[in-house]
Amino acid sequence: MLPVLSILLATLLASTLLTFLSGRWARYVALAGSVVFLVEVLLLLASFTQWAGFGAGGVPQYNDPETYPWISISWLTVNYAVGIDGISLVLVLLTAFLLVATVVYSWREEKEPALWFGLVLLTCLGCYGVFVALDILLFFLFWEAVLIPMFFLIGYWGGPRRRYAALKFFVYTHVASIVMLVSLLAVAFYSGAASFDFTSLYGPARALGATTQVFLFLGLFFGFGVKFPIVPFHTWLPDAHVEAPTGGSVLLAGLLLKLGAYGLIRWAVELLPTGLGHLAPLLYAVAIASIVWGSVVALAQRDLKRLVAYSSINHMGIVLLAIAVGSSLGVTAAVLLMFAHGIVSALLFMVSGSVHHTFGTRDINAIGGITPRTPALSTLVMVGSLASLGLPALISFPAEFGALLAAWDRISYWVLLPLLILVVTAAFYMWLMQRMLFGPPKGIPANVHEPPSFELAAMSILAALIVLYGVVPSLLVQVIVNSPIQGWP
Amino acid sequence: MSGFDVAFGWAWLIPTLTAVAFVIVGVGGRRMARLEWGGWVAVAFSFAAMVVGILVAIGEMLAPGSYTDSSVTWISIPGSPGTFPNGVQLDIGILVDPISALMLLVVTVVGFLVLLYSIEYMHHDSGLARYYAELSLFLTAMTGLVLSDNLLEFFLFWELVGVCSYFLIGFYYEKPSAASAAKEAFLVTRVGDVLFLLGIFIYFAVYATSGSAPGWAAGGFKFTNGSAPFLAGAMGGNTPLLTVAGLMMLGGAAGKSAQFPLHVWLPDAMEGPTTVSALIHAATMVAAGVYLLAVVSLFLGFTPTDQLAIVAVGGFTTFFAATMAVVNPDIKRVIAYSTISQLGYMVFAVGAGFTMVGLYHLFTHAFFKALLFLAAGSVIHAVGTQDLFKMGGLRKTMPLTAAAFAIGALSLSGFPGSSGFFSKDDILGSVYATLGTHPQYWPFFLLALLTVFLTAYYIFRAWFLAFGGDGPRDATLPHAHEPGWTMRLPLVVLSALAIGAGALVFDPAFASLLPGIGVPPTFRGADLALSAVSVGLVACGFGLAYSFWGGGRVFELSESTWAARVRALLLHRYYFKAGYDWIGLRATYTVARAADFVERYVIDGTVRGFERLFAGLSDGLRRVQTGVVSDYAAYVVGGLVGFLLLLVFLAPWLLQTVGGG
Repeated sequence: MLPVLSILLATLLASTLLTFLSGRWARYVALAGSVVFLVEVLLLLASFTQWAGFGAGGVPQYNDPETYPWISISWLTVNYAVGIDGISLVLVLLTAFLLVATVVYSWREEKEPALWFGLVLLTCLGCYGVFVALDILLFFLFWEAVLIPMFFLIGYWGGPRRRYAALKFFVYTHVASIVMLVSLLAVAFYSGAASFDFTSLYGPARALGATTQVFLFLGLFFGFGVKFPIVPFHTWLPDAHVEAPTGGSVLLAGLLLKLGAYGLIRWAVELLPTGLGHLAPLLYAVAIASIVWGSVVALAQRDLKRLVAYSSINHMGIVLLAIAVGSSLGVTAAVLLMFAHGIVSALLFMVSGSVHHTFGTRDINAIGGITPRTPALSTLVMVGSLASLGLPALISFPAEFGALLAAWDRISYWVLLPLLILVVTAAFYMWLMQRMLFGPPKGIPANVHEPPSFELAAMSILAALIVLYGVVPSLLVQVIVNSPIQGWP
Repeated sequence: MSGFDVAFGWAWLIPTLTAVAFVIVGVGGRRMARLEWGGWVAVAFSFAAMVVGILVAIGEMLAPGSYTDSSVTWISIPGSPGTFPNGVQLDIGILVDPISALMLLVVTVVGFLVLLYSIEYMHHDSGLARYYAELSLFLTAMTGLVLSDNLLEFFLFWELVGVCSYFLIGFYYEKPSAASAAKEAFLVTRVGDVLFLLGIFIYFAVYATSGSAPGWAAGGFKFTNGSAPFLAGAMGGNTPLLTVAGLMMLGGAAGKSAQFPLHVWLPDAMEGPTTVSALIHAATMVAAGVYLLAVVSLFLGFTPTDQLAIVAVGGFTTFFAATMAVVNPDIKRVIAYSTISQLGYMVFAVGAGFTMVGLYHLFTHAFFKALLFLAAGSVIHAVGTQDLFKMGGLRKTMPLTAAAFAIGALSLSGFPGSSGFFSKDDILGSVYATLGTHPQYWPFFLLALLTVFLTAYYIFRAWFLAFGGDGPRDATLPHAHEPGWTMRLPLVVLSALAIGAGALVFDPAFASLLPGIGVPPTFRGADLALSAVSVGLVACGFGLAYSFWGGGRVFELSESTWAARVRALLLHRYYFKAGYDWIGLRATYTVARAADFVERYVIDGTVRGFERLFAGLSDGLRRVQTGVVSDYAAYVVGGLVGFLLLLVFLAPWLLQTVGGG
């Protein structure tokens, strides 16, 4: 059988190296590499008809599995182990879409283009690795590998306070990473498994006592939660976004936030279900706090990017709520919402970047009535805003519906809080459109024209995906449920 | 069997046709608008949709009470043992039944007439491609809503008509008031929408967790699977939950149909073009709330508590909105308040258990209210103002428009023989007959009855101000003239419907679209006294309007009287608008600003405090802090690689030693 997942990894690795070396041709190499990767992922998706199912002892199996011994000592084995199920495949698909969109959007990057495109590819390589790794050490290797290129993307190509933002980003996520690693190793050692391999950890970890599971889950929740980000460990996110270049923001919001949620599902919820059961009330509380706080603070923002950043905190709060529910419906909705938020926030950050290039500011109050001058850009702002506030027939709606329906089943009338916050979310997007797009023209430079065609192309791809998956969400749902979700409580 | 049975299965064509128009006009519209083709494309497709709509209705009449339901799976998620044991299946389907056939008739007929009318009315505006594309999309969403076969699909299209309404209210988006009104409409209805969502959750959860739900496992959550007795049974002693679900449906309906206390957005929605007001904010979308209540009452059922709440909201809104129409100087806003008031009648009827009677009024109201709006549009088109106090004497220059408005006014006020007379008296008569067993409906019945008087007064006041007298009170108004045929034809057709549509139910075939309605109770003898009272109230209202405003008179109030104070209160809309603006804008924004302050200076401030602390501790390391990013990067990478090496090689060795294998 073909080592499919390693071929995909090799594609990204080769593209990254070639891009670094190809000087002024970097963008072409990067585009070719990312398109090849997307095609490979689509082929993988087409061939993914049936998840491998549960093996002996109820241990979930994975499709296209590859296991090679990496480090082996008498009692412990560390493997290069990869495999996919529906959950990881959907997130790999998201990675491929965002990689292509980011490369296209930053087509004319002039500051060290080879370095830029190489780092973009490297970030996506790390994310891909996180989504397919089935060994603690391999997972951690990829996890950390994401941080380095992102640190550079913010720190070198970013805005005026980029150094502060990059360091803050790095310190926050690095501290969280260490807690996460220690917790993961603790899971391995407490369960007494002979390897760091997910499948061999599965049975022993789930058999751990309640107290142990609770403490291990707490550690993992903190480690993954900072990446979500959860209130009150979220303040790195607005700073990182405001200073990050557009492509960096796209990858940060679109992919990096998903790593935490994916990690929580795969390495915490699946391995420590009893821990989740006991800690669910805490997770609900943190999730609702993030939902409320993100949305309310977003209402006060004048910087378009900060607004979108706080809206991300709100949406990732809904993801956390759905994961905490832990039912098949909840987790399906959570993964769908991760994909939806990845595409929608990417579009919104691209839109913010284009507004900034076009009008010289991202201050919502400084410009107004831009629709007649830049109808295409304004349309994209509307698509992004309406998708983000959960309009049906756009991608977020089925996910948010499923998430809140699942939540109703567990937290009953508490679900009114996130429901009413949907009004606040609608309010800040509606108010944004009213101020920036409508009304008499204000603060528009004389020679304004639409953003360049490659920026419009990248944003249009995302807008098309928003509509496609909004109208036919089963394209994704069918894949997501083809996973261990089938056996969940 | 006949050829029309085939037409019965064609209902899906209706939303498809208008969707095609949306794509053609939306994609190719910019070029077409200059040639004025965009509008005609939309008109042609909506005409085809209307033909299909009429055929479907005829098909339904030929096979009374029949229905077809076909659906595809939209989303399917396997069940968990703990929650949703049968899984969750969400469908998108088409349900053609008597009442959806009736609604299709309303939506497609009014939709076609309004689009035809727009050709001339919107002629001078720019952005026509956008206009026709959005109206076509609206027709798709509205007919999709009518044809929905389950609550989720209903909600999906419900939101889509809402967003079309948002864009069309804000059609003149350069005007700050239009942009603001569009936002207000979306957000106020959104409050209702989230309540609606909670109601859906409750129905879903009850269906899903009671494993024996008919058709749940097989076909998902469909109206035709549901039955009110089943739900009540599944809830067992848990009727409070069913009551809550019903109240949430009322919340959703109140948002969409602008019922108290979510009524504030509809008068402001008059910022949109008058054609949009006629189609969306009078005949179709705002009636969707009533249709929702009707569907829920038929398929899911309301508890007695729900019914009382619905009757109270409907009855009160009927009167409350009519009082504001009495003093308003803006011709469109008078009709808008009237719409809220008439929707109140429908909600009132559905709440009292007379679902079909409520839908009957929805049917007649769509025509006479669209007529009133289009006649008002004809006036606005001619004189360029909406201020009734500037107009006057227009019956001389615009006789056809004056006659059309008069016909609409007669029908609205319930002049004997007109459409509005039959349906409104059916509501009053039906509820009157239940007062013996439901004395708690009395106060709301009296409010609804009193509103008959107010209705006749405010609508004839508007007619006298605009069309009565010798000439315009504002001499600067342009000389008015009748519009061209594309505007006149819809006025004529709607006038005919405003007179005759109500009598259609006397035909048993047509009455099968409203199963069980029977012949209006007005003619059942016992209610003749009530009819006499209501006709008397109409006469009083007309008389008062004539004595105050007839023959060019203008009724003046001296400023100091209590009546002037009441008028000020009504003109300020009982201060609801100001109050909501305060809550929605001032208070919420202040909270948000406070949260932002906490975010920046408390949460992030703590973080920065730690940063400074560590910076102080690491004073000795200052020399390495060169401030060059690449240096930091080198440390970061070096540290990381070192750490990984440590992990990969040292940790296993350590563990082996400590753990002892």
